Amino acid sequence: MTTSTVTETVTPAPRRFSRTSPSLLLVVALGAFLVLSAVRTLTGGYDLTSSGTVAAGLSAAVPIGLAGLGGLWAERSGVVNIGLEGMMILGTWGCGFLGYNHGAWAGLVFGTLLGAAGGLIHAIATVTFGVDHIISGVAINIIAPGLALYLTKVTFAHYEGGGQKQSPPINDAKAITLPFSHWLHTIEDKHWFAVSDLAGLIGGVATRLSLVTLLAVVVLVVSGWILWRTAFGLRLRSCGEAPYAAESLGVNVYKYKYIAVVVSGAMAGLGGSALAISAHQFRDGQTGGRGFIGLAALIFGNWRPGSLAAGAGLFGYTDAIQLRSSAAVHALLLLMAIALALIALWQWRTGQRAIAVVALVIAVLSVLWFADTKKVPDELVGTTPYVVTILVLALASQRLRMPKADGKVYRRGEGH
Amino acid sequence: MLLAACGSDSKSTTPAASGSGSSSAATSGLKIGLAYDIGGRGDKSFNDAAAAGLDAAKSKYNLAAADVKELEAAQGEAEADKEARLTQLADNGYTTIIAVGFAYSNAVKAVVPKYPSIKFAIIDDNAVQSPNLADLTFAEEQGSFLVGAIAALKSTKHHVGFIGGVNVALIQKFQAGFDAGAKAADPQVKIDDKYLTTPPDFGGFNDATKGETAANGIYDGGADVIFAAAGGSGSGVFKAAKAKGAKAIGVDSDQYQSAAADVKSVIISSMIKRVDVAVGSFIDSVKAGTFKAGNTIFDLKSGGVDFSTSGGQIDDIKAKIDTFKKQIIDGTITVPTKP
Repeated sequence: MTTSTVTETVTPAPRRFSRTSPSLLLVVALGAFLVLSAVRTLTGGYDLTSSGTVAAGLSAAVPIGLAGLGGLWAERSGVVNIGLEGMMILGTWGCGFLGYNHGAWAGLVFGTLLGAAGGLIHAIATVTFGVDHIISGVAINIIAPGLALYLTKVTFAHYEGGGQKQSPPINDAKAITLPFSHWLHTIEDKHWFAVSDLAGLIGGVATRLSLVTLLAVVVLVVSGWILWRTAFGLRLRSCGEAPYAAESLGVNVYKYKYIAVVVSGAMAGLGGSALAISAHQFRDGQTGGRGFIGLAALIFGNWRPGSLAAGAGLFGYTDAIQLRSSAAVHALLLLMAIALALIALWQWRTGQRAIAVVALVIAVLSVLWFADTKKVPDELVGTTPYVVTILVLALASQRLRMPKADGKVYRRGEGH
Repeated sequence: MLLAACGSDSKSTTPAASGSGSSSAATSGLKIGLAYDIGGRGDKSFNDAAAAGLDAAKSKYNLAAADVKELEAAQGEAEADKEARLTQLADNGYTTIIAVGFAYSNAVKAVVPKYPSIKFAIIDDNAVQSPNLADLTFAEEQGSFLVGAIAALKSTKHHVGFIGGVNVALIQKFQAGFDAGAKAADPQVKIDDKYLTTPPDFGGFNDATKGETAANGIYDGGADVIFAAAGGSGSGVFKAAKAKGAKAIGVDSDQYQSAAADVKSVIISSMIKRVDVAVGSFIDSVKAGTFKAGNTIFDLKSGGVDFSTSGGQIDDIKAKIDTFKKQIIDGTITVPTKP
């Protein structure tokens, strides 16, 4: 008992992290943008800020971010959900099933529902029956692809344009292009310092922006608002921190966990649907571990919606860069070095000397690598998103603190 | 320990298994086992081509369902699983066994010598030599040379692109041929090469979003024709081509026929690889008793690789491509196999 109260008084550090003021964020964002423009101008790695990269990065980030958001809902209520990948697969299949003849939005709704059904199974196993969360999650990850494949064989295999491994094509969701975007592309092609870069960033968002992407952003903001700004959210999070304390105050912990895990599955299903829509069909194995990457973004994002979105965004952005242009990956080395140097400086000031030294050493090595070579070997280009995201998030995060009762089995009335 | 036990076990059961196999073979003639690569039947690409060859043989020789067994690889499985799959087919009396894909190379090496009375074939690999193994490979570089020439001649910007699914030696053959063909047709052509993933990540054959992003990058860089040697990821390349008003070239089968209706217009040709012909001729040879061990290369000359003309978009340059084809067949042009 005493030890737990002691740890409780020592944990204000992560709260400082959350108290970043909007004006500080604005300064940081502006600084990051200027560094980005400078590196782009210096290296000629145009794809660092091209509208194509921004658009591709954004759509790559959506499924990962939604999976991470699914993890956020579940883990904030104290249920570890590593079944996100499986629920995502259910989402991709569901989206293919209704999407191919009723349009992308019907597919999206059905995919989300199937994801929620996966979440419900996880909730029944972990909350009602007290199964170990990891075991239940692994089971869902094994069952879901098999089930999706079976359903594909009994449905899509008989449809025109479908196959035993894939659905017929899904029509695109509506995409919006703002009227001035054409104008932005002209500016972008001039390659002026800062101005063209800004045009590229805005142009990427303003051109053919899928409504699904917009929906994902809305869902993220609304989730953050519900979990941190409403009484419902406070109760839900209390189940993840101290379920017996919540119970003693009259919170129905089972109910909140159920809601959280079902919403979690729905988010993963939505992410799967978004993936299927951007790939224009369901394909067996198309999720490719994105559910797990989302989970990693959640953890490195310290179980906060903003940081997890940043992690997913960083992954999507670097993935888009490495797919689009090997030259830009070389430029990215320099950019990463600068980012790590800044992180080193900041960690040094906050007293994390060891982390600061590690970040600085990696930054110096990156600069040397950049200066000594003309391009990154093709074999390593594909690892870019993983390496950059892990380095930046791992070295930038303060102390990671998971919800205190996360992953623990809760039984009503058994708290002592 | 466990593996060793399995191995010796299968060895001891071999005589019985092959004995029962040959006895049933006497009634129906052929017992064919087919082990697919990742994707299996229904991938609308490489594995389906093998399945087509099998289906043709099935109707040709009037085989019963029990005479044919098809198994398929799972994503990210271990080497031992592939060995077990081939061993399972051999132990169950299938006397004509086809391993579809270079991924089976090590498994074939381990299993084939244990069953000297069974005829094996492996597609896309010639690393293993054995008296009861036919290595069926293709001269992909020759077909790719031709579509490289098509791309260069159809590019108005003298700038073309190549997208490979996974960076392995097999796909590098496609790239080598494509690059050489493009340069032969247009010496000033600029070529952008890109692989979607690097082993052990084989997801690059099955990720349309990656294909679309990479293709957009190459089109934005100024290219206007891309050759997609990327299996299922190719549909993303076609989507990107459609959105950018550019052109693309398909692979393995005539993808103009199988692609979604709205992207047909961007597919100007496909590099055809007749896996069905390879599978069919292997089964024929076993049936006729003319089985030939060692490497058989299916090339332009034998019709094992070719280019498609559906859609009619390359009719104006077809004569030029046919000239290249003739030159490759008669040996005037030697196509490199490494980029």
